[in-house]
Amino acid sequence: MSFKLNALLRSPWVFHLSTGSCNNCDIEVLDCLTPRFDIERFGMLLAPSIKHADVLLITGSCNRKSAERLKRLYEQAPKPCLVVAIGECSMSRGMFVHSYNCPQPLDKIIPVDVYIPGCPPKPEAIIAGVVKLIEKVKAQAAEKK
Amino acid sequence: MIYIFYLIFFGFFLTAVIGLLASWIDRKVTARVQYRVGPPLLQPLIDIIKLLGKETLVPAGASRTTFLMAPVVGFSSVVLVSTLLWINDIRLGQGFVGDIIVAIYLLTIPSMSIIMGGFASANPLASIGASREMKLILAYELPFVFAVMVPVIKSGYSIRIGEILGAQAQNGVVVGSLSGFIALVVALMSVQAKLALVPFDIPEAETEISGGALIEYSGTALAMFRLTKNMLLFTLPFFLMILYMGGLRFDGIHLLYGILKYVLLVALITVIRNTNPRLRIDQAVKFFWGPMTVLAVGAVVLAYFGK
Amino acid sequence: MREEILKDITGRFKDDIVDVFDKSPSRVYIEIRKEALVKIATYALRQIKARFNIASGVDCRHHFEILYHFTVEDINLLISFRVKLPVDKLEIDSLAPVFEGANWIEREMSELLGIDFKGHPDKRRLLLSDEWPEGVYPLRCDYEEWDKKAIRDRGI
Repeated sequence: MSFKLNALLRSPWVFHLSTGSCNNCDIEVLDCLTPRFDIERFGMLLAPSIKHADVLLITGSCNRKSAERLKRLYEQAPKPCLVVAIGECSMSRGMFVHSYNCPQPLDKIIPVDVYIPGCPPKPEAIIAGVVKLIEKVKAQAAEKK
Repeated sequence: MIYIFYLIFFGFFLTAVIGLLASWIDRKVTARVQYRVGPPLLQPLIDIIKLLGKETLVPAGASRTTFLMAPVVGFSSVVLVSTLLWINDIRLGQGFVGDIIVAIYLLTIPSMSIIMGGFASANPLASIGASREMKLILAYELPFVFAVMVPVIKSGYSIRIGEILGAQAQNGVVVGSLSGFIALVVALMSVQAKLALVPFDIPEAETEISGGALIEYSGTALAMFRLTKNMLLFTLPFFLMILYMGGLRFDGIHLLYGILKYVLLVALITVIRNTNPRLRIDQAVKFFWGPMTVLAVGAVVLAYFGK
Repeated sequence: MREEILKDITGRFKDDIVDVFDKSPSRVYIEIRKEALVKIATYALRQIKARFNIASGVDCRHHFEILYHFTVEDINLLISFRVKLPVDKLEIDSLAPVFEGANWIEREMSELLGIDFKGHPDKRRLLLSDEWPEGVYPLRCDYEEWDKKAIRDRGI
């Protein structure tokens, strides 16, 4: 696996973004940063600005107003950048499928790498999802060789 | 020719290695204090290597040259001042008259580079962070200069770092006397502000202005800023050690004492960082121009009378 | 205390009140005629010193309703003034010139339900995005999907 990708997977800085959620998934993401489920041991830090981010953690079903802002933020994140969709609302809009304000699911707007189901997912599930993301990226890099 | 060796090996390489190690100690102790497991040993190095592999984005309205030159200015001044301090520490006679003034001057340039970078990004939050850094520099430089005057007075009014070290080897370390101790406390607070660590991490306040002056930096430029900050975590306590604690001597047991002195200073910085909340900028200015300046002037007066 | 307040309101505005529904010790629904809204709301605000909480709009199929909720906190009482509007003439006097708290909720009701508030100082959009067409009100019973590019199946 290339050196750059190895360094990226050993120190992913997460950026947390809510595109109109009920904030339950946001609370669970914040739980991951607390001492009980410490994610700094994997090298993950909470990035203050989008330009420092490697992994985008997106919660909430994307409504019309936040779709354009989400696209702008995704363009500002320096590539290579991975996207994680947390919770039912960002996977497929959950119970808001027929809502007038959420026309498209998240993966029609930006490319998503890993989906973490749950409403809200437990912090253990979020950590397991990020581990699966790292393994998936490693497997993709190995099979590209 | 020998100076190129000093520049690259001592000034850059050894400083970077010890600085990254000190940054890891700081993060691990912080994690342990908060009852969690911290990052692995090579984590600060991997952070910088990862940042070197990302793309560097320059914002549209920013002035491109200043934006990209700011981290280079900060980084080169840290390498220069480390080289100066290492040369003075290893070969005592090799400095020049007035090199303590050059060292103080060069140590303000990394903060200036953050201000340059903050104002060159066309972002209002970065301007707020840069202007707060300017106010912080105004605040902590005053007691810092007073505190540096104490070892100058105690070693017979000489402004050569080599003579300060020699005087400490003869008469005992400066921190043993009362004025030296007070001056070390004041200088340690100023170092905490110079490194932009809590309680004075006002310019880079994370949750408040989302990154402050460094909000628009990414990729190689951000890696240089982080490397500068980590190298400063070695250079500034080293400067304090030379002025107050007799420097780092390489013969026998004194090498162990030197390492212990450095670890003690880093541990003090970490403990202050973990037990305090962040101050507002007006509280920080009042703190530095109020109690700290009074203490520093008191230490200078005590040193003048020989205590 | 509660009985005094209710007797005061029902006595003073006898010919404007259509119906009083005393649901529970803490909840009263008073249906009023829509011309008397500003008068009664100002009285509830200034004289009884109730606090304006929120207003809600409902599309019942044959008429529209707006409820204005006022609370008297000391005695734990929530009074809701109900106004019924006919489907073909959806307009009512705005409460925004009387007190500022009704400004945004009336903007939201006017863009989501299509009710016209006469005398409202600022009739801009509040919640809907800029690409939303004029004249389409999402919270009505007869709202239909206008977006051709919307994806409404879960893809399973």
